[in-house]
Amino acid sequence: MIKFHNVIKLYPKGVKALNRINLHILPGEFVSIVGQSGTGKTTLVRTMIGEEKIDYGKIEIGGWDITSIRPSEIPVLRRQLGVIFQDFKLLPKKTLFENVAFAMQVCGGSPKKIKKIVPHVMKIVGLESKIHRYPQEVSGGEQQRAAIARALVHRPKILLADEPTGNLDSLNANEIIELLLRINKFGTTVILVTHNREIVNRLRRRVITIDNGMIISDQAVGKYVL
Amino acid sequence: MFISFYRVLKFSFQDVYRNIWLSLVTVIILILALFTVNMLLIVKVIGDTAVDAIKEKIDINLFLNNDSEENEILALKAQIGGFSEVREVTYVSKSEALEKFKENHKDNPEILEALRELGKNPLTPTLVIKPNNLDEFDMLINRINSIDSDMIESRNFTNYKVLLDKINVITKKVTDAGLFLSSIFVFISILVVFNSIRISIYTHKREIAIMKLVGASNWFIQLPFLISGWFYTLIGVGFVMIVFYPFLTLLQPYLEAFFVGYNIDLVSYFYTNAFTIFGAEFMVAGFINMLASLLAVRKYSKV
Ligand SMILES: Nc1ncnc2c1ncn2[C@@H]1O[C@H](COP(=O)(O)OP(=O)(O)OP(=O)(O)O)[C@@H](O)[C@H]1O
Ligand SMILES: [Mg+2]
Repeated sequence: MIKFHNVIKLYPKGVKALNRINLHILPGEFVSIVGQSGTGKTTLVRTMIGEEKIDYGKIEIGGWDITSIRPSEIPVLRRQLGVIFQDFKLLPKKTLFENVAFAMQVCGGSPKKIKKIVPHVMKIVGLESKIHRYPQEVSGGEQQRAAIARALVHRPKILLADEPTGNLDSLNANEIIELLLRINKFGTTVILVTHNREIVNRLRRRVITIDNGMIISDQAVGKYVL
Repeated sequence: MFISFYRVLKFSFQDVYRNIWLSLVTVIILILALFTVNMLLIVKVIGDTAVDAIKEKIDINLFLNNDSEENEILALKAQIGGFSEVREVTYVSKSEALEKFKENHKDNPEILEALRELGKNPLTPTLVIKPNNLDEFDMLINRINSIDSDMIESRNFTNYKVLLDKINVITKKVTDAGLFLSSIFVFISILVVFNSIRISIYTHKREIAIMKLVGASNWFIQLPFLISGWFYTLIGVGFVMIVFYPFLTLLQPYLEAFFVGYNIDLVSYFYTNAFTIFGAEFMVAGFINMLASLLAVRKYSKV
């Protein structure tokens, strides 16, 4: 599903954010990526969604070589990926429903399709009773769930979560992880970037540890090793 | 596709509406720019009308002796008519001259009375010469001056050339000043449009980031801002159109008073040419604004 071959990413001033990353993630996997701050985890995510060009190597997503993807093809790629972040990136002046619908509107989704899919994904994330609230009227966990609902509207094959629990207390964080596991059970490949030792250890799934832009460990049933 | 275009339009309106003050300033600057451009046009129309009117009036009158023979006059007419500088020679006989005089002064009973008291036709036969080309006016005068005929009683040459030159100089000066003013305004409008699009992109930073994240196509993200550029133009040109006709109507009496006897009608000029004038202004201004917007979009909403 995701393949990295010898990927190097340099930032200006000689920062080697990714240093010869080799990675192979299979369809349906649930992979945690851990590592200390500034080691290149977010950069890894950004290269996968075409936000950063790499300087060496090759990246394949679902068999598609996106190494030198053209700007006009990036939207096509992004519709196959769901992405969520630590800050939920919801629009404050739109209700949760409108926020999720927005993602479909801007991609040309018909009103009929929007009416069908938005309540469906809202139900998956357990927000069906709060769809008409504004982001500031719900908890952080619920905001993140709305963001996940939005990431699901295009039925992505891969869900990328960059520290989705970073702003949440452990109760809400656990709920989000439960949700991600449920989505993974439906067949979506989930990549979870996290700092949370407790979560990683409890998951008992594949863990990739990055340090200084390099993969220093990749365990099928991993523990937080740092 | 259709629904996407509808949404693009909607986003564009939202963008204009949300930064309403900025949009207002943008439109006002555009209106100023368009107004100066149209003022320039007015000056040009007035100048051209004045020049044309005077050119039409330019002729040389050769007043002939009262007792000149008809066939001699016709021979002289033929001679002058043969000059390459001459477009047309008209022979106005004594009686025709009288008719014309009466016609010209039909509203002035005192003159007509004086004429009647004279008892006989005091007017002389005349040859009216119209020049071909104003540039050859001096040459023509020289040639006519060199005709040695005792039929010619007097030669009346008003020097229209000086007058025309004066008008041309004034028109040119006003046009230059207008051109300078217009280019300043056009330049300012480009900056202002660029800046408002930049600011609206900035205000929509979050939306744009999310749109990109969820896979909205680039045209969908950028088109609303380009349309905003056209939208400003539409409002600006529309406003100028609405305001311009009353303005012209106000101006008209002054022009008529100034150009007595000349046919100058700016209102109808701007009516008959409205489509060309405002259409062209809309296209050109819209295109310039779109380029300014495109520049802003390219610069500030990178993928
Ligand atoms: N746009 C950029 N320009 C220059 N350097 C950058 C840029 N983005 C990130 N970096 C640098 O690249 C390195 C990796 O950054 P990255 O954001 O991938 O780390 P991270 O592992 O996600 O950290 P954290 O856990 O704090 O989120 C860091 O040293 C960072 O300073
Ligand atoms: Mg990060």
